[in-house]
Amino acid sequence: MANPKDISGSASGDNTVIGPSIVINGKLTGDEDLTVRGRLEGELSLTKTLIVEPSGIVKANVSVKNAVVSGAVVGNVDAAESIELTKEGRMVGDIRSPRVILVDGASFRGRIDMGEVKGERAASDRGARPSVRAVRSVPVAARPSANSRARSAGKPPVPPPPPESRSTTPLPPMVAAGSRRRVVVKKKVR
Amino acid sequence: MANTVIGSSIVIDGEISGDEDLVVQGTVKGKISLKESLYVESSGVVEADIETQNVEVSGKVTGNINASDKVELKTDCRVIGDIKAPRILIADGASFKGNVDMDMKER
Repeated sequence: MANPKDISGSASGDNTVIGPSIVINGKLTGDEDLTVRGRLEGELSLTKTLIVEPSGIVKANVSVKNAVVSGAVVGNVDAAESIELTKEGRMVGDIRSPRVILVDGASFRGRIDMGEVKGERAASDRGARPSVRAVRSVPVAARPSANSRARSAGKPPVPPPPPESRSTTPLPPMVAAGSRRRVVVKKKVR
Repeated sequence: MANTVIGSSIVIDGEISGDEDLVVQGTVKGKISLKESLYVESSGVVEADIETQNVEVSGKVTGNINASDKVELKTDCRVIGDIKAPRILIADGASFKGNVDMDMKER
């Protein structure tokens, strides 16, 4: 089978390729680039780059430095440096990486955690929104910040009323449940 | 040719199956079943039962090998396990411990 196109990076040298008819079931670890054109299920951890080509399917919890996904990934991905979903990439699962690139055409369902966006990791982890659906670009920037969401999700034990933001919309808790979040987002945007 | 390579720093613990050649430079534990050839290069370590058409070993293999065509143990390989195949080649310098079954009646 002709190799569809060489995706940047791992062109030459000692890199590992899993061909299109290969199925690996189990745990894979390594210190080099890995290109998946076949199927890999289980657990994957690399200290370098994972490339999932369009024919590749990865159903695994993945821990890598960089990931470029043009195929399908089901599972959580922890990328120390970056993850990119190309226009052919499909992914379901949660992403943890400081740099997340979702290109137009990529499909993704799951959570994204870019680390200390605004601090308050705990609040964002149990965030009101279980998942984001992104088709075009990085959605995280558009998300309401962790503390505004925490406020909208119900009264926190110690409601911190920053006067300047409260005054603009005096009664957010009274608004119908469905529209609450939107109110908060608007407030955040300004 | 689409060729699958398990690089020298890669460790796989599990099962590999497929319809194409597989080159192992790293470590594979578990099971390998292929419809084509398996090449265990000199840096390769396989601790697995192997079921393929052809096997060529220059590295280390621990486990039973069942090949439908040929098994070739090259110089400096180290193989422990039983081999079952119609054709088995053992080169000078290879080390091997185990049973050999060439399945005479099929020939």
